[in-house]
Amino acid sequence: MSAEAPVLVFVGQPNCGKSTLFNAIAGLKAETSNFPGTTVKHTHSRVIAQGRVLSVVDLPGTYSLNPQEPAEKAALAHLFQEKPDVIINVIDASILGRSLELTLELMELRRPMVIALNMTDLAERKGIHVDIGELESCLGLPIVPTVALRGRGIKELLAKVFEILDTGEGMPAAAPWSKDVESRILQLEEALAHGFPLTVNKRFTAVKMIESEDLSFNRLLSETQPRLKAVLDRVRKEIEEARGKPAYEVISAERHHLALKIFEDCAQVRHEHRVPPLEKLDGIIMHPFLGYAVLLAVLLGFFFVIFLAGNFLENLLLEPFQSLRGLLARSLGDGLGFHLADGFVQGVGGGVAIVLPYFVPLLFLMALLEDVGYLARAGFLLDTFMHRIGLHGKSVSPFLIGFGCNVPAVMATRILESRRDRVITGLLIPFIPCSARTMIILALVAAFLGPWWALGLYVVNMLVVAVLGRVITAFYRQSSPGLILEIPSLKAPSLKNMVRKTWIQLMAFFKFAWPLLVAGSVFLSLLQYFGADAVLNAVLSPLVVHGLGLPRELGVTLVFGFLRKELSLVMMLQALGVGYQELLGFLTRQQILVFVVFVNFFIPCLSTFGILWKELGRRVALLSAALSLTVAVLLSLLVRLLF
Amino acid sequence: MIQHKTKRSGTVILAQAPSGVPLRVVSIDGGYGVRQRLFSLGLHIEDTIELQSQAILRGPVLVRNLASDTCIALGRGVAQKIVVERLDER
Repeated sequence: MSAEAPVLVFVGQPNCGKSTLFNAIAGLKAETSNFPGTTVKHTHSRVIAQGRVLSVVDLPGTYSLNPQEPAEKAALAHLFQEKPDVIINVIDASILGRSLELTLELMELRRPMVIALNMTDLAERKGIHVDIGELESCLGLPIVPTVALRGRGIKELLAKVFEILDTGEGMPAAAPWSKDVESRILQLEEALAHGFPLTVNKRFTAVKMIESEDLSFNRLLSETQPRLKAVLDRVRKEIEEARGKPAYEVISAERHHLALKIFEDCAQVRHEHRVPPLEKLDGIIMHPFLGYAVLLAVLLGFFFVIFLAGNFLENLLLEPFQSLRGLLARSLGDGLGFHLADGFVQGVGGGVAIVLPYFVPLLFLMALLEDVGYLARAGFLLDTFMHRIGLHGKSVSPFLIGFGCNVPAVMATRILESRRDRVITGLLIPFIPCSARTMIILALVAAFLGPWWALGLYVVNMLVVAVLGRVITAFYRQSSPGLILEIPSLKAPSLKNMVRKTWIQLMAFFKFAWPLLVAGSVFLSLLQYFGADAVLNAVLSPLVVHGLGLPRELGVTLVFGFLRKELSLVMMLQALGVGYQELLGFLTRQQILVFVVFVNFFIPCLSTFGILWKELGRRVALLSAALSLTVAVLLSLLVRLLF
Repeated sequence: MIQHKTKRSGTVILAQAPSGVPLRVVSIDGGYGVRQRLFSLGLHIEDTIELQSQAILRGPVLVRNLASDTCIALGRGVAQKIVVERLDER
């Protein structure tokens, strides 16, 4: 609140460059990408700009103030809660006409506001020239043109914010309605009794009441405020009768037409006959047939680049750690000291030499796909197939994010409108091989059985997801609401964005996962030194030895796989007491495959389990764990029987 | 907004409309949720749109709103709820 640092809130439609702008001001905090709805949780940051402390908040993108997804609802709840001192409305200048609809809604909040007219470079390239002065006078709001990606206009934006804070300017007038609508809104405003729980102000509350068809809201209102409900019903009916369409549609259409009128008055559009190269490329990417060829090529390219780069780096990096372990064995003997040091080196080495070589290329390529805007396109192309498993194209993005890490993928289910879709997608995400599992697949299956085996495992994995999807949706009677997804314009990737995103996730790995890997290795060393691992292995041996046909020493490593999937790999080598290169002397190819299949499918890792619990509830989390365990046991038994 | 004057040459469901010709949105059936969602994404009745691409196997359609220059993917089910009118047949 304004008692201390003034609160600036960034609001804008998805994909308007809001997070990039926020990052330019707040430093490395929010993740950005070219997919609607990437910021699913709000990010708070305290920054010092020109010697003044500011509290800046980045909200999830929202198309309107009539939220339909949980991500949008979160945005609004915060917008109302924070009582921002200044609202920074970020607008994508290249789609000004539509973006202004949200601006008109925001103006109804009657809070000090400034518009960051972002992506002005893209707009110019599309032949859209915005007359800033004209737009300022049309809206009665200060406007600062920005190109967030290149840091242009940031200083001016902050200067404008300070000016608003100091002078109290920038208070918008609510946008005008047609006379007949205006008079009805006024009638409802007047009917709002003193003490009625207002959202922001009387006018905003009245407009939102007319717009809301929410049944529970209407029922509650008729029970608690029957007189107000009667006025609301009358006002709605009058609007509907006068215009011949539902009141909410009238309100929405009024805003739409006003936004388009302002756009036409304030912007000149030069229609170019030459199709820009990116749009030509988009034609191929979204082509009914070529699109799928591109998609396949992208996925295969993705896989091979990660494998080849990872394999090369792995071989390069493993050598020094192997010699270090040899050196330790020679100098420390076989005491507790050696076991501790060895466990430590295994953990550190496993992280650096086995995990990072695959992890970094994967993060980087993921960032590339997101930045270009390919995720939404993949959603379009795969919608048909998603329908076959009872979902639709919007779930594709959480799934694809799941290849990086399941945790943000589960969080990304917030972009789905219906709970049904969120639960089904949430139950399926743990079956998407995340980077940790990809690394296990590449480091074991691809390296020892060949890359095509690994690819085959992926295909089987996707089939498992499809079959499970069908099975789970059979339990739901209602069908999915269907795909409505904005496809943002294709953008040239920004190296800066990609490096930043890779860096943020890498830091998260160093902070949370790596210490766990090292601690797990040291812990296993201790267990081995005191012989305690034998107890765990004995307990698990019916499953591990008789069921899966694996050496009993691996029992303990499967348990630790629940903490981090990579841990199973790092600890596997340690438990067997072998170096990575000599693994084939101790395990057959079939055993490697069984081990990988089991680790790949069994139980979501601790963090995924936690986020499932938090996002979708305890029942879904427990169901997910039971489902994974069953699938893992069945599939690894099948692999054992078949190979 | 520019009002296009056309003779009513019969309407067609968006899912069955031809690609690459300007179309005017005549009506959107369906419940409050779907309609409000489409409005939020900038697709309104009376808007001039164009079908850009249709995915294979009864997949989704790609719609460009010519007024706001935005692009939306609509599932087949949603596209069947939208009625449009061709603007090129005069």
